[in-house]
Amino acid sequence: MASPPPPDFATSRRGFLRLAGSATALAALARIPAVPAAARAAARGAERQRFFDPEATRVLTAIVERMVDDGDPATPALADTRAIATVDALCGALDPALTEPLPLLLRLVEWGPPLFDLRFSRFTRLDPEGRDAALRGWMTSRFEVRRMGFGALRNLSMLGWYSQEESWPAIGYAGPLLDRQDPA
Amino acid sequence: MIANLLDRGADLVERADVCVIGSGAGGAVAAAELAAAGRKVVVLEQGHHWTARDFTQREDEMLPRLFEEGGMRMTRDASVTILQGRNIGGSTVHNLCYAFRTPDPILRMWREEHGLTGLSPEALEPSFQRVERQLRVKQIQEHQVNSLNRIVRAGAEELGYSGFVTRHNRENCIGAGYCILGCSYDAKMSMLVTYVPRADAAGAAIYAGARAERIEAEGGRVRRVLGSAVDLDGRPRASIEVQAPVVVLAAGAVASPDLLLRSGLGGDAVGRNLHLHPSVMAAGFFDDDLHAYRGIPQSYYIDQFIDLERDPHRGYVLMPIAGFPVMVATQLPGFGREHARRMRGFSKMAGLLVLLHDRTAGRVESGGALAKPKIGYRLEPDDARQLAEGLVHCAEVLFAGGAREVVIPYQPEPLVLARGDDPRAILERGVVQGEIPIASTHPQSTCRMGVDEAAGVVDPWGEVFGVRGLFVADMSVFPTSLGAPPQITTAALADRTAHHILARGSEPAA
Repeated sequence: MASPPPPDFATSRRGFLRLAGSATALAALARIPAVPAAARAAARGAERQRFFDPEATRVLTAIVERMVDDGDPATPALADTRAIATVDALCGALDPALTEPLPLLLRLVEWGPPLFDLRFSRFTRLDPEGRDAALRGWMTSRFEVRRMGFGALRNLSMLGWYSQEESWPAIGYAGPLLDRQDPA
Repeated sequence: MIANLLDRGADLVERADVCVIGSGAGGAVAAAELAAAGRKVVVLEQGHHWTARDFTQREDEMLPRLFEEGGMRMTRDASVTILQGRNIGGSTVHNLCYAFRTPDPILRMWREEHGLTGLSPEALEPSFQRVERQLRVKQIQEHQVNSLNRIVRAGAEELGYSGFVTRHNRENCIGAGYCILGCSYDAKMSMLVTYVPRADAAGAAIYAGARAERIEAEGGRVRRVLGSAVDLDGRPRASIEVQAPVVVLAAGAVASPDLLLRSGLGGDAVGRNLHLHPSVMAAGFFDDDLHAYRGIPQSYYIDQFIDLERDPHRGYVLMPIAGFPVMVATQLPGFGREHARRMRGFSKMAGLLVLLHDRTAGRVESGGALAKPKIGYRLEPDDARQLAEGLVHCAEVLFAGGAREVVIPYQPEPLVLARGDDPRAILERGVVQGEIPIASTHPQSTCRMGVDEAAGVVDPWGEVFGVRGLFVADMSVFPTSLGAPPQITTAALADRTAHHILARGSEPAA
């Protein structure tokens, strides 16, 4: 059953233009080589630092789950890591000019299926395949600003996930030598 | 004395013989040479003073500490990421320690085409020797060549490409591989552990968290530097005034012209002629684990595609490159299971990058915000073509070295080549800004050296035309793209400038 867009997206074009106006910031987030977060140290106190409100966090979590999904049931669940807290802490620490459009971007992703794909469901109510298709729509959009938005969310997702020790065994990364008893 | 200015808790007003702005490959050398000769030196470094015990080997902690704009310095169109150091020691703290002298053909070109007759190998020899002694430059030994560099060398040799094992500035290196995140073992002979302590021992006052914001001159002479003590987020907390008859500006090829422009000094050429040594990379995936991130990251260097004797204006080199999980994950295109599948090859991956000796001339302009200048750079067609050709050769080398798959990270759809595929497919997609990640770690030439104001910003000794006592001593003085790793050239030219200042004698007090 389709949900009606929330009131502030009744004029989605205006929202889209606002997003386009933030293209530079999105581009920066999309292309930074490592989305260098302020992150981990800040993430330790992240419970208090909420850049994203609960609704945005819910959408962000759904996005990150698909971005880093590896299909392996043995992989630790995203919820069992500090990946989202790390992203939240990063966004709280970055230049506000860069992160200001992110809440809007998340709402656009959430309401993207009805807005862009003529699907009568929000992003978070789609099944995994549907979410992947929606994200692919952003990734390959003919509108540069949508591709930038995708890049920003993708890089934030990768930073959040691959800075977690839990993600390292699957890729064969042994982690910092300083943390090991046997640095040889 | 090395101090964080914020710890003083008060405004700073000092008089000095020399104020040095920046503490990287240029500033640290100038400060140490001048202080060792008895000059009263004050160094202003806007970054902070991190040391080996702060270097945690974690990307999420170190990248924001060590890089300008938290690693997000980019060209205006966000197509080129520019990585520059922002800490005591500057970019030498995160660089990968290639230690090349200025190529002779480049010096010849600077003499013959730019009139810089004093820049001969013989004239620079004393500076090269002093710098190399301080930085403990030496040949990388065979046992120090790691798996990444070995397979790149094997591929190059299989194809008959010219290459060699380079020199570096490390001492007692254990091969941890975290050079780009700062050396936790003080084995990298960066400015942080060489020239900065030397300047400190000679009595220089070195202030971290000290941002220069304006240089003032009167009557054609430099007089003072004004600025702010800043916190970790760059917020001003107290004011700085250093009165000095000599100022050495060594803030790098982005910040130095920005500061000159903000100060209304240096003429029309300031900020123009920006070269970046832009780079693009290919990722090779192998059957066996390489753990390419362990060991000295860059020890082999392919110079097959640059012949400076024949043409000192163009060419490119190929350099091995490895990364840590976040770096690699953000470079690889796509998302979800396909991306995760490639990430599972992380320990089997070897990167090879093309570094271009570029002719493209970009521009640095002062932006609206302090320390965030606008950087414009659009690749000339021939430069873009060379980068694409370079990627073809990267793929060839990686396959010849044993790769089963090579990925060119076009966004959003990569080009994936299997063994046996024709790498020239890369030429069809080319290198288009915005469609493939481009990075720069060597911005240069924005205050270039020339024989007069029409040709450059500074004279052959690095002194800004029309402002006596104001010198520039960083990569921005290079007349053209260098075409080689710049650390030693930057340091040697700074050494030369410092000794010129000493030879000229005392300037009238500010």
